[in-house]
Amino acid sequence: MTSLSGSDTSLQTAAAAPSGGWTVVAAQELRDVWLTARGPIIVLVFSLLLSLLTYLAATNKELNILDQRDTVNLVVQLTLGIGVAVSLLFSADAVSGERERETLESLLLTPVPRRQIALGKLLAAMSVWPVMMVVAVPYVWALRAGPGLFADAIVAGFVVGSLLTAAFASLGLLVSTFSNTNRLSLALSFFIFVVLLAPTQLPLSGWFGDLIVRVNPVTAGSIFLEKVVAKQHGWGQESALLIAPILAALIATSLAFLVAGRLRLQGGIER
Amino acid sequence: MSDGGEPGSTSVGIATAEAVLSVDHLTKSFGPLVAVRDLSFEAAPGEIIGLLGPNGAGKTTAIRVLSTILPPTRGSFTLGGFPHTNAAAIRQRIGVLPESAGYPLHLTGEEFLRYHARLFGHPARGAGEVAASLLSEVGLAERASSTISTYSRGMRQRLGVARALVNTPRIIFLDEPTLGLDPAGQRQILQLTRDLAGQRGATVILSTHFLDEVEEVCSRVIILNRGEVIAEGSVAEIKRRAAPRTARVRVPPEMHDQALSALGRAGGVASVGSVDAERGWLTATFDGAWLDEHREAGMNSAIRALTDAEVLVLSFELEGGRLSDAFLFLTEEGQR
Repeated sequence: MTSLSGSDTSLQTAAAAPSGGWTVVAAQELRDVWLTARGPIIVLVFSLLLSLLTYLAATNKELNILDQRDTVNLVVQLTLGIGVAVSLLFSADAVSGERERETLESLLLTPVPRRQIALGKLLAAMSVWPVMMVVAVPYVWALRAGPGLFADAIVAGFVVGSLLTAAFASLGLLVSTFSNTNRLSLALSFFIFVVLLAPTQLPLSGWFGDLIVRVNPVTAGSIFLEKVVAKQHGWGQESALLIAPILAALIATSLAFLVAGRLRLQGGIER
Repeated sequence: MSDGGEPGSTSVGIATAEAVLSVDHLTKSFGPLVAVRDLSFEAAPGEIIGLLGPNGAGKTTAIRVLSTILPPTRGSFTLGGFPHTNAAAIRQRIGVLPESAGYPLHLTGEEFLRYHARLFGHPARGAGEVAASLLSEVGLAERASSTISTYSRGMRQRLGVARALVNTPRIIFLDEPTLGLDPAGQRQILQLTRDLAGQRGATVILSTHFLDEVEEVCSRVIILNRGEVIAEGSVAEIKRRAAPRTARVRVPPEMHDQALSALGRAGGVASVGSVDAERGWLTATFDGAWLDEHREAGMNSAIRALTDAEVLVLSFELEGGRLSDAFLFLTEEGQR
């Protein structure tokens, strides 16, 4: 072992304050997601699932009871559901996972502001969604009934998915900021997602059902997609359904960044 | 806490011209629990200060407050001229090896250091140079491309020390750096610690409960117990404060009673006791005030009394001549 001479000029000068520390965090987190097994395996499994669905829809006309528009809608909704869920789980691991692996302290000891650390992590977690959307594009193309349907499905899917990904990834980050264990963070975040997802599978009717549909960002986004993709309604006609996803994205991201400024070594409520 | 500019402005002051760290009545509480109470000290450049204390004494909390991970409940400190409220400026000037430092096991040592150098504002190319240089300095150059998962505990600790140096810190906090290391690993870390202070001129705050290490490398010691400073000074001063007060004497078994009587008459001896009469072991405890007055030579009175009584002395051992004895004496005294 050589001695610590400190003669290297690059070490003699203390590093300047980092500008754009979030880009450094985001770049490292993106490498962690996409250059390790996690991201690629999830995308591979997802593409296999879409392949199976597309193969059945394209080749087995007798078994395919869905209209082609409905099939495209199903592919987009499936992409959205899985993309949002994976982003949510990645962000729910972002802080509590570092706590559990005991790597958070060295990150907090850097001069990068807490909010920039949170932003970098959030962007990396959200990167799953656009990748899944890109993976879904050829499948939607293969199943399209016409160029109009393809464009509607891709654009509407991307808009709704981006809003819901922002909302749920921020929610995951928020929960993760307060959680002392990763298990709690992942379980609680996923539970909230499932609770909000469940009404999409329920027959909701009457004023209460309509209220749930419009207030719940997941049901509102899902029905918006169904109306635009499967039923060919215009965006303007159904724009009210985008209010809940937009508000959810705004509120969740604002809260996440507000709380991230007080990101601490220990979870729980500050004493 | 805000980002800061250079020290020396009217709002920022240095406690003394020499002190790189000045801690003033620092207290940290967690609800009703006071983890650190009224901690005050100063540290000069190049000093190695040992932070000692039993488990739960508040060492790690003190380091976390001084490294801006935790805000103080009361009191203040300045580091490199920056007040504790300027966390970003302080973080630029400190290096920390946390007690329970985790590592991203899938990264290589070089990637890990490059990432942290980037977080401290080094440009991409500069970060690579810093990483390579530090890996070489801590003896990990040959393992730079290996993932951290393949590193031994000692190698990970050295990597942690290298990480603490990416910003050329003025103060380095090492929290239990040798915990769990084999003797060779401990030696390497202690040598690194000496080099940090001696060659880089950095101030090192070394938290440990391995007292031999403190005696070996520290110029000054702060002993904490239950969050309070119970002793502070050089290693020699601390040892003197808890100077030996008890002598353990062995005489031939047939002279045991004779020795007991002779020691009872010796100057300064407060009490004598038989430990094992069959083997001839007994103890003589000296009066603290008398011993303070007569210093270590005072114990010669016991030897003189034994020789005057023509008792053959087979063994005469002082209890409390090492830093570990002083530490135990002080911490036990603090608990009484």
